[in-house]
Amino acid sequence: MRYLVQRILRFAVVFFLVTFGLMVLMRLGMNKPGDPARTMLGGTVTQQQIDETTKAYHLDSPLIVQYGYWLKGMVSGDMGVSVQQNLHVTTYIKSRVLTTLFLGVYSLLLAMVVSIPIGVLQAYRRDSVRDKLFSGASFAFVAIPPVVMGVLLILVFVRWLHWFPRTGEKIYPWDDPKEHFRNFALPVLALSLPVGAVFSRLLRGDMVRTLQSDFITLASAKGVSTRRILWRHGLRNSVFSVITAIGLQLAGIVGGAIVVEQLFNMKGMGTLLITAILSKDLFVVQALAAIIVFSVVVVNLLVDLSYAVVDPRIRQMRALS
Amino acid sequence: MTTTITPAATPLEAPAPAKHSLRARLHIPKLGVLLSALWLIGLTALTLLANYVPSAVPFIRTYDAKVRINGRIGQYKAGPGWTAWFGTGRSAEDIFARCIYGAKVTLAIGIGATLFGLIVGGLIGVVSGYFQGWTDRVSSVITDCLLSIPPLLLALILILRLDDLKEVYTWLGWLTRTWQITLTLGLVAVAPFARIVRAQTMSLREREFVTAARSLGASRSRIMFRELLPNLVPAMVTVAFTGLGILIAAEAGLAFLGLGVERPHTWGKMIDISRDSIEKAWWATVFPCLMLFLTVLSFNLLGDELARRFDIREAAV
Repeated sequence: MRYLVQRILRFAVVFFLVTFGLMVLMRLGMNKPGDPARTMLGGTVTQQQIDETTKAYHLDSPLIVQYGYWLKGMVSGDMGVSVQQNLHVTTYIKSRVLTTLFLGVYSLLLAMVVSIPIGVLQAYRRDSVRDKLFSGASFAFVAIPPVVMGVLLILVFVRWLHWFPRTGEKIYPWDDPKEHFRNFALPVLALSLPVGAVFSRLLRGDMVRTLQSDFITLASAKGVSTRRILWRHGLRNSVFSVITAIGLQLAGIVGGAIVVEQLFNMKGMGTLLITAILSKDLFVVQALAAIIVFSVVVVNLLVDLSYAVVDPRIRQMRALS
Repeated sequence: MTTTITPAATPLEAPAPAKHSLRARLHIPKLGVLLSALWLIGLTALTLLANYVPSAVPFIRTYDAKVRINGRIGQYKAGPGWTAWFGTGRSAEDIFARCIYGAKVTLAIGIGATLFGLIVGGLIGVVSGYFQGWTDRVSSVITDCLLSIPPLLLALILILRLDDLKEVYTWLGWLTRTWQITLTLGLVAVAPFARIVRAQTMSLREREFVTAARSLGASRSRIMFRELLPNLVPAMVTVAFTGLGILIAAEAGLAFLGLGVERPHTWGKMIDISRDSIEKAWWATVFPCLMLFLTVLSFNLLGDELARRFDIREAAV
């Protein structure tokens, strides 16, 4: 319990520091009073408009106070206003966030579903032809940046084979599941292949080591079936680095999503973020960055906690501390 | 002091006897490693020659040269062939030449960013791994913060903000695009490097030679920089190679998003320019992709080999 509180506190500190840091970064260089309002409004504006905006969003108070207001808004679901778009940030970014969420979740799931069996089977017949083949392939896939993967997928599946549409139109799964998955297939593939390759490499390495330990020998001596040894005994003791990697790779997936969205003309967070930074739509940038950082932090927290679920020894150790 | 004895893992079956093949005895590296080293050396040599001693490489066209097919220039006129090895691009430029010129900036940014990350991250890692306690806690919060922002996002915000800040603060005028990208990617690299160096330092500081140095009265800085640091070099070099691959891919991502260097175009930018005409002229997109892939792959292969030789597990990804 103490451990849990410690962890949550630590991740909260990271979240506050990062979001505050990004806010400061966005405001750097706006030294004259009224500067933030002017950039938020964009274009030519009257002094009166500037004053009104400054007043409405407390833009003249110290940054830390503004951060407080912003945080208060975030908690109550009000992410501020995009003055340039004349829209609430929440309504402005909602559909965009969903697109990227689908992209990220599908990619992570696909990467795991594909990589875990491959890693386990590779370790089971170590140094066989199949193992070497998969090792080589996964090594190559690790080295393919999302840009390259995306371009190649477009070339083969869109231009030559015409299997998939080029642009990722926004279709929700509850409206038309088939079209939804058709639209997401290629972007998800481009994102998940390199990540899956990393997972399977990590899993193979750990699994090889696990399969050499005494308790596996004991299990096979007791007559436990090979399948059970591999998927229960072996896998459970080998997933640690993969779980850790989920947390670390998530940041990479989000970064890759920015590129992939651009490549497939999807209307996601990444493309919106670039527009927002370029037009200095302060609240939009802050909201998007906060969502991204929050999800990365939360996933890492879950990763941390899941160690205990997988390994009872850790649970015990933490209970004692 | 307590000594812990870790029982050696008893393998399921007897480990395969070490192969004493001719190759192993002669220390000939594997084919892949050899090829990657050759690729990287060749690429570096070509791009340096093309940029600084163009007369030495007459087969590479100049950056602005237009390829004439039957005396005319046109969009994507020539496919890969003898006239233009990688074909020609949108403004009749030679894709092969552009690939070579772009390599200079990409490699320079990659190496610069890696060095920045190694120095700053290494320093943070050594200090926090050696002192532990509060120093460690503060620095690990810093690395946690850096790791919680996706690298590309951080780079995006920083580069675009630096563009604005240059206009406000004149003393930032020296920051060209190349410098901006190098510094931002360097900052991105700090946290992973710091983590690995910290882990290595923590395992090294319990070793006898450190205790010996301490009992001889060596100062902290001596222990850190004369005793620990030399032992960290293998790990740092290994991570540097893997990191280089990742940073080069990141640079390509930035260039693709339009945040690259204006001139020369790097591979990411070339992909972005030609991708809409991929059906008409696949070569203009595929060859930059291939260059990027092979370069990243080479750095990864070398990093992997070094990790195996020095027995460093963290750098394996």
